Amino acid sequence: MPLTFDEKAALLKINSFSYLRADWLGRLLDIFGSGQEILKQDAKTLSEEGKVSLGTAQHFLKSATEFDAEAEFENIQKANAKVVFKGEEGYPETLLAIKEPPLALYIRGVLDTSPNAAAVAMVGTRKITPYGRRVATKLAEDLTNSAVILVSGLARGVDSLVHAAAVRSQNPTWALIGTGIGRCYPAENKELARAILDNGGAIISELPFNSPPLAQHFPRRNRLIAGLSRLVVVVEGEVKSGALITAKMALEQGLDVLSVPGPIDSPQSNGTNKLIREGAAMVMDARDIIDALPLNSKLGLNTKKLYSEENPPEQEFTEQEAKVLSLIGQETKTIDDMAQALKIEISELAGILFNLEVNGVLICADGQYAKKKF
Amino acid sequence: MLANITSSCIKGIEGFIVSVEVDTAAGMPTFSLVGLPEQEVKEAKDRVVAAIRNSGFDMPLKKITVNLVPAEIKKAGTHFDLPIALGILSAAGQLGEEAVKKLNDYIFIGELGLNGKVHACAGVLPMLISLKKQSSKKAVIPSANIVEAAYAEAEAFGAKNLREVVDLLEGKIPFEQESAAKVVLEEEQELTLKEDFCEVKGQALAKRALEIAAAGGHNVLLMGPPGTGKSMLAKRFCGILPPLTKEEALDILQVYSVCRLLGKNKKIFNRPFRDPHHTISNIALIGGGQNPKPGEVSLAHNGILFLDEFAEFSRASLEVLREPLETFKVTIARAKDTFTFPAKFTLIAAMNPCPCGYHGHTTKTCNCTPLQINRYKAKVSGPLLDRIDLTVSLNPVNYKDWQKNSEGETSAQIRQRVVAARKRQKERFKDSSTTANAFMSVAEIKKYCPLPQGGGEILEIAMKKLGLSARSLDKILKTARTIADLAGSDDIKKEHIIEVMQYRPLDRKGVSDI
Repeated sequence: MPLTFDEKAALLKINSFSYLRADWLGRLLDIFGSGQEILKQDAKTLSEEGKVSLGTAQHFLKSATEFDAEAEFENIQKANAKVVFKGEEGYPETLLAIKEPPLALYIRGVLDTSPNAAAVAMVGTRKITPYGRRVATKLAEDLTNSAVILVSGLARGVDSLVHAAAVRSQNPTWALIGTGIGRCYPAENKELARAILDNGGAIISELPFNSPPLAQHFPRRNRLIAGLSRLVVVVEGEVKSGALITAKMALEQGLDVLSVPGPIDSPQSNGTNKLIREGAAMVMDARDIIDALPLNSKLGLNTKKLYSEENPPEQEFTEQEAKVLSLIGQETKTIDDMAQALKIEISELAGILFNLEVNGVLICADGQYAKKKF
Repeated sequence: MLANITSSCIKGIEGFIVSVEVDTAAGMPTFSLVGLPEQEVKEAKDRVVAAIRNSGFDMPLKKITVNLVPAEIKKAGTHFDLPIALGILSAAGQLGEEAVKKLNDYIFIGELGLNGKVHACAGVLPMLISLKKQSSKKAVIPSANIVEAAYAEAEAFGAKNLREVVDLLEGKIPFEQESAAKVVLEEEQELTLKEDFCEVKGQALAKRALEIAAAGGHNVLLMGPPGTGKSMLAKRFCGILPPLTKEEALDILQVYSVCRLLGKNKKIFNRPFRDPHHTISNIALIGGGQNPKPGEVSLAHNGILFLDEFAEFSRASLEVLREPLETFKVTIARAKDTFTFPAKFTLIAAMNPCPCGYHGHTTKTCNCTPLQINRYKAKVSGPLLDRIDLTVSLNPVNYKDWQKNSEGETSAQIRQRVVAARKRQKERFKDSSTTANAFMSVAEIKKYCPLPQGGGEILEIAMKKLGLSARSLDKILKTARTIADLAGSDDIKKEHIIEVMQYRPLDRKGVSDI
């Protein structure tokens, strides 16, 4: 039975309560049957039935009644977005299976809710290293070109690279964000967010439309990243990081976790190496990820290229450019290092590096050059 | 009796002539000093009385009035002691007829000790320079300040005590320009540097950037972890700047004279190098105070202002730098007066890449969050960064580089190229007030920096792919012009523009991932 407008408004009000929002909200829904019914109760009944403290129940009722659901609907409509409620048609089935499924899901763009969608979460550190950048870009490109849907969190670092790889190939990608969908955090990803929508992707959040980026939002959205994906790949991550929280959530939800190994002395790879030691599958190329997908999800994929032995045509470089590239190898080099090793004047070297940089072969950060791709 | 002695006073760093009028009249023995004297001028009374008595003269027991003309301008400085003392002696009839006549031939500057000794005082050089313009009088100045007479090329007598001055007036000793007065200003300054560029190991990019900065007068930002040689490079920058011209030297010396920072050495020194600590107040940096005095930016005039830990300076301090960087002078307005100090300096700023300092370090780990790093860098963004043409990221030098025996170029070698490039610029700007490429106006950039074939495309690619902002385009052209000058090229070439890209890491956002 479709939900009435009043019921939707009541559910939005309930969903807006983000203070320690926990399973008891779901429990209340089960007990009272509808959102409207819950809001009719007094705090005492709620606290007794929901087994929460009286203070929390009072707080909940106050914030829920104050929430302006009509304005919220207006915002959603204006943004050309939609909101789906738990149990409604269009609510991703896989989310029902996770702990604390969101009561409401705000969606901008197109979300494929089939449980067999080939959705792979790729997450990682915000403090990305040149190695992580190369790996994330390469894996993401290979996956998206095989028609895998990349799922990530639109954060700085790995997340942004993953989304960007999909967008470059004009493929859909899903971003589960830690703010309301009416905001963009971090602000520098505004353009990326728009590109995601333009290319048939989706930006998804369970938070009210204009929720700010609060620290407690992010670990919670990680369960949604895992919940919408078939498996989770961690590219780089410290031992204590959001990426590892996502991995933990995925394990709790019974998903496979794959991890990209890294140098043992790099803090950004400590977490991923630890995952491998604890039994996560190791990723050495995109095929490892595709192989780990459930059979049903593999059906629509286009992996011919990935499994063919042919190497992609190499980019053509001049003699000097090739020398510079082979010198850089998989490390980072400063312009001083290179000038000395190659015995070229700085002014000449600057020209070579400029060409390589604008062509996207190299990346320069803090005066150090590294390869951008494999 | 009335006496009228000529002296001088400083306003800002310019001298103006002051008449010291002394009147002695019968009546209660009093001593009053009028004509807007500051505290140190008022205290002259006590010094003068003792100095007169201790030099073997009589202090007249009369009603003494001293007036400093023009009376509506505030007067500061201790150098009125000598003219007041001579005025009293003259008014009291203690000087011979000859001496009284001769009083008119001189201008007197000097602080007196209680024993009659003439002490050094501040601002003698600018006073002498303005005196030369305004009158034909000779000067009597403290012997400790005689070097300044040489700088000003003024006829001056260096007095050691009050008695000696009276002897001079009475003709007992001849007026001879002390030998110091013949200090050779033209003397080709040898470059005797304690610190040389060849001592800096590695850091070729930074050295190149500093060479460009020296050649074109550009400001530089050095960014890198601790221990990468930022201060070391900055300290050696003086040595590659072109030699001071006489006019430039005189400008600097005047500021130093006012601040009592002139040593006794007779040679004109090198370009000044000022490195104030980052806790400096904005007034100390820019100049000011109740009686406005030049600040660090003026002390760095025609030289270098080195701001280490650039991002740690208070925002207020950094904001005040905008005016001198734009107009090359500092104007301090008071209700009654406006003071102008010169402040044309090359700014060398140094900063860490992040609060902990190790972002981008090859071996050490940085503990800062991306937000902290962005915030730290944003501290210096905006209008101030707009005045900085060259930015270099420095990286730690590895041991191999460090122990390498082959020494780099010496400062003298680099300086030669800088001087040659400056010569080209002098020729270019001979009809304009611009002195170097960095100071070109928009019209001049248009005139002297035409884009080479294909240059426009490079800029377009750089803007599109590297995210270079449009406001940096002018700076790129100016810097490219300097690089071309260093290469001895009449036109800016493509490779010159490409090289500039290396020096603009802060306003390139990197190749877009999308």
